[in-house]
Amino acid sequence: MNVELTDLTRRFGRTTAVAGVSLHTGPGVFGLLGPNGAGKTTLLRMTATVIPPTSGRLRLLGRDPGGYEPRREIRRRLGYLPQNLGYYPGFTVAEFVEYFALLKDMPPGRVPQAVAAAIEHVGLGDRARARLRTLSGGMLRRAGIAQAIVNEPELLLLDEPTAGLDPEQRVAFRGLLRELGQRATVIVSTHLVEDVGAACSEVALMEQGRIVFHGTPAELTARGEGSGAAGDAPLERGYSAVLAAARSTTAARA
Amino acid sequence: MTAATDAPVRHLPPRTAWAAPLSAARLLRLELRRNAMPWILLPIAALFWFDSYRPGAATPPIWVLRTFWNMGQGHTIIDFGPFVAGVAAWMGSRDGRRRTADLVTATSRPRYAAQLATWAATAGWAAGAYLAFVGVLFGVYAHQGLQGSPPWWWVAVGAAAVTAFSAAGFTIGALYPSRFAAPVAAFGGFLAMTMSSQTGFSHASGWALILPTNSNGNYQPVSGIFYPYLPDLPIARVMFLAGIAVVALGLLGLPASAGGPLLRRAAAVVTLAGVAVAGTAVGLAATARLEPHGMVIPALHDTANDRPISYTPVCGRATGVPVCLNRAYRSLMPDVTAALRPMLGEVAGLPGAPARATQVGGAYSSTEGEAGQAMTISGHPPVLSMALDAENLPGVFGGTPALFAAQLRLLFAHAFVGAGDGAGTPAQQAVQAALLQGAGVPFARQPRMLASLGLPSWALATVHSAGGHGPGRATGPVYAAARRLAALSPAARHAWLASHLPALQAGLLPLAQLP
Repeated sequence: MNVELTDLTRRFGRTTAVAGVSLHTGPGVFGLLGPNGAGKTTLLRMTATVIPPTSGRLRLLGRDPGGYEPRREIRRRLGYLPQNLGYYPGFTVAEFVEYFALLKDMPPGRVPQAVAAAIEHVGLGDRARARLRTLSGGMLRRAGIAQAIVNEPELLLLDEPTAGLDPEQRVAFRGLLRELGQRATVIVSTHLVEDVGAACSEVALMEQGRIVFHGTPAELTARGEGSGAAGDAPLERGYSAVLAAARSTTAARA
Repeated sequence: MTAATDAPVRHLPPRTAWAAPLSAARLLRLELRRNAMPWILLPIAALFWFDSYRPGAATPPIWVLRTFWNMGQGHTIIDFGPFVAGVAAWMGSRDGRRRTADLVTATSRPRYAAQLATWAATAGWAAGAYLAFVGVLFGVYAHQGLQGSPPWWWVAVGAAAVTAFSAAGFTIGALYPSRFAAPVAAFGGFLAMTMSSQTGFSHASGWALILPTNSNGNYQPVSGIFYPYLPDLPIARVMFLAGIAVVALGLLGLPASAGGPLLRRAAAVVTLAGVAVAGTAVGLAATARLEPHGMVIPALHDTANDRPISYTPVCGRATGVPVCLNRAYRSLMPDVTAALRPMLGEVAGLPGAPARATQVGGAYSSTEGEAGQAMTISGHPPVLSMALDAENLPGVFGGTPALFAAQLRLLFAHAFVGAGDGAGTPAQQAVQAALLQGAGVPFARQPRMLASLGLPSWALATVHSAGGHGPGRATGPVYAAARRLAALSPAARHAWLASHLPALQAGLLPLAQLP
């Protein structure tokens, strides 16, 4: 297993952002769905070793990130795109990607080729020398993806990667996801269920810090059949049905 | 609920020994290229021109005098410090402002290492610009043919100060990342400079000498001309500033997010080492004492620096008397000979009249600028020894050639009458006043001139003991006697002096015995 989360909880003061999540997954593209505030970003930040869990057990790429050296090894093999991508406006695309390649301890000799390949992969080859401040939102997002994949990660965490991408770019990105999923564990957090349907082999749906569904996109679609849930596409109806069921269960408990 | 596929763990290529320094060098190159510091260099250059270069431009072409304002008083540091602290804080707060903290944290290189690369680039730009600006300044001075030698130790102090400002500012920005970090750090830097300068007015000795713009004891006018610049105080200040920089950089490595436990422990040790170095430097400064040729710190002092610099004097003549100056002062030869000429004419042929005048280095005491008697006449044949560096040279602190000439004449007359380091007896004061009158310094101007800045302390004492009523009036019994002596014909005055000079110089002649 590349990702093993067992009863993982994270609290911020009195707020429980993630409540006892357990999730085991190996290579492939894993979709993480859920409404705003469901806890997806917090779960990804813990998985990216940015913040530690309040309780529970976390193993990534066969290592416990609680220790410093294992955490470093995980991070060498990790790619992470945060929801709010910060960037240095004065850097060029190539410099930005090179900067993170170096921070990921890539062998210096391999960095130039890896940077060029990552930038080509996201379709920014012709803008490699452009300053980040001159890029559109979609291009920035792609630059963020390039820095995440530059080290050919074994664990790639993408938080809302398609936000700001135009339809053509999204289609291309789904292709990239499928390609990356061949050799790595890719966890994609998104609002956009069609991305999940097109690229993910496995999906989980979060609501109020808990996982309320875990299965394949086909299984999620099946949950919506005949439920009368809102949605334009079968997968959206499945999403709505699962959420509605989860909310009614929570209301009944209350 | 699990997906059942196990992933083979990929083996990354092992890190070679040279990979870490090479990666650090590449990071540094990136940071140097995209650093914010160059953007602030233009305003610093303008300030440097107006505040550091121009104020000293009219001083005599001697290194120690022309750099007194910008290096000795630390104005080059004042021009750089607040800006550097502000920009360094801006760079230090970058990950917080730009919301890249998560991205940087999720990488394997310790965040401390990434921050050090950013700081190194920032400090490199700042210290490099400081050295370049001072290099241009010194290049201009060299082109202008300045005499003596440049104050290299004080350049080292300035570079260390700029580095310390960059480290302190960066750490403030990194630990409190917000858009306000930069202005707060810049204002803090300005405040520190102001307090450092102001402390100098009330603390001419002790621990406060460690402050980088406390000008007490930094420079002596003999430095680089008669004696080497003493490195004692600069070494202590470099230690202090390096200690501050090390403490700041050590603090950067203490937070949990900085790196692993070993690295954080090392950062704690570095912080403590910085505190120890800075504290030691403060302790050393507290032992500093002003000796005749500069500020001495016994634990750091090398007696080799007490040896005078050998030189071949340049000589001219005044009323047939050879007048020899250090080569550094050769541009003042016309002023000096013109000032001495009437005085030497007045005393020519009298016992004790100088057969030669030669410049010597001033010997400084606790008050900067005060060189005791400043002129003495001694030896057989008598030699007039002049510590010109103790004077208000033309262009220094508003000094003019006329004031310089008048002061030389006063010092000559004071030495000739044998008044020594004190105000002298009333008879000596009266003869001194009469000689000055004869050399073209009217009685009416004398009290005001005696009260002018830059003279030994006996000058002001003369004003009060001469019986005058404040520096504006040449009245009282001393001036009355002086007027009587001055009223004699030159031949009669010369004859009277010839017969009474030994008693006068011994301080045994009462005022009543003046004609």
